[in-house]
Amino acid sequence: MTTTEISTRAGAARATIRPRRRPLAHKKAIAFFVLPFGVLFALFYALPVGYAVWQSLLVVQRVGTFGPAHDVFGGLSQYSQVFANGPFWTSVERVLLFGVVQVPIMLGLALLFALLLDSPLLRGKKFFRLAFFVPYAVPGVVAAIMWGFLYSPALSPFKAVTGRVDLLSADLVLWAMANVVTWVYVGYNMLIIYSSLLAIPTEVYEAARLDGAGQVRIAWSVKIPLVMPAIVLTTVFSIIGTLQLLAEPQVFRSFSSAVTSTFTPNLTVYSTSSVPDFHLAAAFSVVLALATFVLSFAFLKFTQRKGVQ
Amino acid sequence: MHLRNRAVSVALLSAVTLLSAAALAGCSSSASTAGASSGTSAGAASSACAPSTGKVNLTFTTWVPGIQAVVDVWNKANPNIQVTVQTGPNGNGGTYQNFFNQLKAGNAPDLGQIEYDALPNFRVQDGLTDLGACSEVMAAKSDFVNWTWNQVSFGEAGHVYGVPQDAGPMALFYRKDLFTKNNIPVPTTWDEYAADAVKIRALGGYITNFSQSDVNQFAGLVWQAGGSWFSNDGTSWSVNLTSPESTKVANYWQDLISKKLVSSVPPWTSEWNNAYNTGSDWTWVSAVWGANSISSGAPDTSGDWAVAPMPQWQAGQAVAGDWGGSSTAVFKGSKHVYEAAKFALWLNTSDEALTMLNKAANLYPATTAGAKLPALAAGVPFYGGQAIYDVFAKASGEVSPSFTWGPTMTQVYADASDGFKAAVSGKGTLLDALTSTQASTIATLKSQAIPVKG
Repeated sequence: MTTTEISTRAGAARATIRPRRRPLAHKKAIAFFVLPFGVLFALFYALPVGYAVWQSLLVVQRVGTFGPAHDVFGGLSQYSQVFANGPFWTSVERVLLFGVVQVPIMLGLALLFALLLDSPLLRGKKFFRLAFFVPYAVPGVVAAIMWGFLYSPALSPFKAVTGRVDLLSADLVLWAMANVVTWVYVGYNMLIIYSSLLAIPTEVYEAARLDGAGQVRIAWSVKIPLVMPAIVLTTVFSIIGTLQLLAEPQVFRSFSSAVTSTFTPNLTVYSTSSVPDFHLAAAFSVVLALATFVLSFAFLKFTQRKGVQ
Repeated sequence: MHLRNRAVSVALLSAVTLLSAAALAGCSSSASTAGASSGTSAGAASSACAPSTGKVNLTFTTWVPGIQAVVDVWNKANPNIQVTVQTGPNGNGGTYQNFFNQLKAGNAPDLGQIEYDALPNFRVQDGLTDLGACSEVMAAKSDFVNWTWNQVSFGEAGHVYGVPQDAGPMALFYRKDLFTKNNIPVPTTWDEYAADAVKIRALGGYITNFSQSDVNQFAGLVWQAGGSWFSNDGTSWSVNLTSPESTKVANYWQDLISKKLVSSVPPWTSEWNNAYNTGSDWTWVSAVWGANSISSGAPDTSGDWAVAPMPQWQAGQAVAGDWGGSSTAVFKGSKHVYEAAKFALWLNTSDEALTMLNKAANLYPATTAGAKLPALAAGVPFYGGQAIYDVFAKASGEVSPSFTWGPTMTQVYADASDGFKAAVSGKGTLLDALTSTQASTIATLKSQAIPVKG
């Protein structure tokens, strides 16, 4: 029932816009407004990605032990190295495991906090809204360093715990990082879901209340279905973020013996480019980008199909 | 509705991306040949070393703390050769990566600080200007400790790819107070060192911390043992990470790790400083610049330390290793090679600059005259007033000139460190780490089309 309501509403909005567009009398104005985006998109997105793809198709040739390198076209040979690279695929598995556990926890918390902020029962909303969001304002590297201190076996203020359970050991370091990522991004995702909650017209709640629904029931049967698009959006962002994990493992690498130079796919790209082997690094990046696209698409398709039912 | 729109826009976005990529791939095959030919012509032009006319502005990227004051002195005395300093993180901490990117983009600075172990990497990426044509640089050869000159010339007569700046001869830093109090003689051989490790462990401390992620220290230990990780016969490279000397050093430390006689806190962390500051770790086999690391990292132990020569593999020997040391190199593409070389020479040979560099950053000069600077003769309060630089001056003369670095050291360090980390966590051994790094290094050289045996 709720889905049909949204689609008619959106459809109505669309209908009012359409007649104004039809004559296409504002071609210049449209071009004027689209151009800045188009130029920036081409310069800072399409071009670098295209350059990376081109770099990934090259191989190096040289003569002698110190001969200067010449790039020649090598077809897909870098990609065969990517697919034969064991540590890279182990790192992909690692971030997938990370994502399967961390993303639902983070978004579950974000949704819970958003619903609490939206509930009429909670006091001090402004304070909590800011408090939950503050960690996102802390740069990722700083957050990782700070948590690194908290996890430290000898220097942590919680030495009683960290001295006994080594949170930086091979078994736990991934989850120690998951905690950092969750801490940073819960507030950000909460805000997206919360703003989507604010957009729900109050008549819907009134109707629900007239039907005898309590706050919990409204949250479960009205609010959550209505903010599903926002949850899907944050999930896609989180999937992308998980696959691109770099700052946290990079920082943790300096103080955990369990974090190697190929701990996450992006760290592998970074290590490869500092060899410097730009071509192989580019091939890794392209494969990673494609994997991200595929996963995001798969998730969108999956949720869409569910939406139809 | 919402959803479908988003899916469409994502699809469009990716289609645009793929199309533009294809377009780029189509048009740039011609561009690369043009780039290659211009590269060779630039190479031919830069071998000259002639003075420029008029005022020259140079850029210099380095991470030596306090170097601005030194460069100010130069700028005041040389109004026609003005040097602008850019600072960054230490080499492997990001500056090398920047250099490689800048070289690829064609906007590298005129001069850059490059450690000896990274020089071959920059040379193989065609990033360095051969200063062999600069007669003033070649004339300065005899001013430098011979092994440092070997590091920057790769042992090739008539060529030099940087001016040696400082050296990192190694010695043994130890807690004199703790050794004296517990009646433990200072170890002079590695056997004694291992025996002391047992005694110190029984007292609740660790003799030292094994550096799990800074492989450079381990390389210095192999250097002392007479090993060399690479060699280059002019037609191809050989990788010798598992040479008998290297294996001996690996097995020695693996034994201490397995018996839990050394701590293995990640180096250069607060945790690591804390281990020294609280007296939990008693010694550190380190380079001359390590004097600064201890005094800043373990301020509570002031006056308790002393410096002795490195433990030896055989009693009565006097061999030292080297850990670190930098050169000042002129990058390919600099338009003022003569002026850049002149500045690099002043920075690294003049008493004035060397004294300032030593005061500001504890740099230990690579010149033979530099070792006799008055600043280096004084006792250091942190080390109980000991004239510690005398120990390092002697060590500097005991460093083997034949250690050769490979052309992909960043990769070697990263891979070996991954293996060392596993070893200190109880998975595999140091030798396993070296064996797998040997293989990955050969693979990396091959992927870079660098001729390699094996």
